[in-house]
Amino acid sequence: MYVDQDLCRKCADCLPICPVGAFEIRNKKIVINYDSCVECGVCLRSGICTEGAIKQVDEIPYPRIIRAAFSDPLHHHESTEVLGRGTEEMKTNDVKDEFTEGNVGFSLELGRPGVATKLSELDKVTREVISLGGEFATYNPVLSLMENPDTGALKSEVLGERVLSAIAEFIVPRERAMDVLGELVTFINHSVDTVVTVSLIARNDENGGHSLLDDLKKLGQELGFNPYPNGKVNVGMALVR
Amino acid sequence: MTHTLDRIGLSENHSGEEIVILCMVHYKHKEEKSEEIQEIARTVLKYKPNNFIGFPLSIPEEYLLPMAAQAGIVTAVFTDMSSITSLVRELREKALGISVVLSGLFSDVRKICDETGLTEHTTHYTAGVFGKTDELPDHLTLEITTQCGHALVSSHYVSNIVKKIRKGMLTSEEGAELLAKPCVCGIVNKKRTAEILAKMAQL
Repeated sequence: MYVDQDLCRKCADCLPICPVGAFEIRNKKIVINYDSCVECGVCLRSGICTEGAIKQVDEIPYPRIIRAAFSDPLHHHESTEVLGRGTEEMKTNDVKDEFTEGNVGFSLELGRPGVATKLSELDKVTREVISLGGEFATYNPVLSLMENPDTGALKSEVLGERVLSAIAEFIVPRERAMDVLGELVTFINHSVDTVVTVSLIARNDENGGHSLLDDLKKLGQELGFNPYPNGKVNVGMALVR
Repeated sequence: MTHTLDRIGLSENHSGEEIVILCMVHYKHKEEKSEEIQEIARTVLKYKPNNFIGFPLSIPEEYLLPMAAQAGIVTAVFTDMSSITSLVRELREKALGISVVLSGLFSDVRKICDETGLTEHTTHYTAGVFGKTDELPDHLTLEITTQCGHALVSSHYVSNIVKKIRKGMLTSEEGAELLAKPCVCGIVNKKRTAEILAKMAQL
């Protein structure tokens, strides 16, 4: 993305719409701070510039293109066949049965809500997840960034790229889930230089009950967090005949 | 894609305030379920959602059906229990073999399941936000910005719109329409957003 200075009227209407505040006034010109910009496309799609001064470059080179892949939901991830930065995770679990009664899925979304993250922070988290025995989801675009899946290390050339958020998705056995969560919360609070939204996926019991939520509430009392009263529920519609 | 998860500000004191529906075809079945996902899009629109996929991009309704088939996904926001319950009941009767996810209070989802004969299958819970939380904006701003699962709604834009409401340049409803636009999935609850903006403008 760039600002065509011949068309820009310097009205500054574009400044607030950027989710990461990448528009700046420099030497009496509106410019984009390319270190901050995550290539999400909001400024262009919004039509906020009535003069058409916000323009997309012909091609974003690698590794910068990773910013768009993890920030623009209309960017198609070749590695997952899914638009956006994540996977189908539990949304289609009544079809694919990836999350079974014996395991719990974790989603660690770095940079969300609204802070963004350098991929060097993701590198710290993926290494920690591997050290805790987490098994990464097959169709997570984060896997395509890994140089060594055995250690969780990301490719060195991507570490400086900044994205709106990146999601480490992995599975652990149900009986270890609360221990792993406790260790991750401590690690994130002490070692990660951004915000991380932590969420967990579990099968409901046969009556639709939420036993994992009860475990989360207990751990939350010990560690000082409150699980949300709301979330996402797959209601098993695909199984209705 | 945590997507419709992690929305801040829902409370048991406001049951039924917001239920987001997401219908998704497993990517391996996209071609064979093309007709069915279009039928879902048609049915969802019949119940007049508060917001839906494509709406923020001003995509005409006649293009929504082929778009749903191409993307394999339909999303919409409902702000009353009666409409969403009727919609879920109709989708159940049609038995189209496509996954449906409801996002909202777990107690609201339980009521809908009880009324429609469904049982919760898999749940995605949020433990909270950790790490550098001092970099987050205020709670009311987060109640708006976390409605976009891709974090495309800027906290600076919320402040900018609140200022315009205070100056009488916008109504809170107009402000909510503007803030819903960056969220291309159409999952911002414009009714709740307008209420939050009105509250912020009073501060």
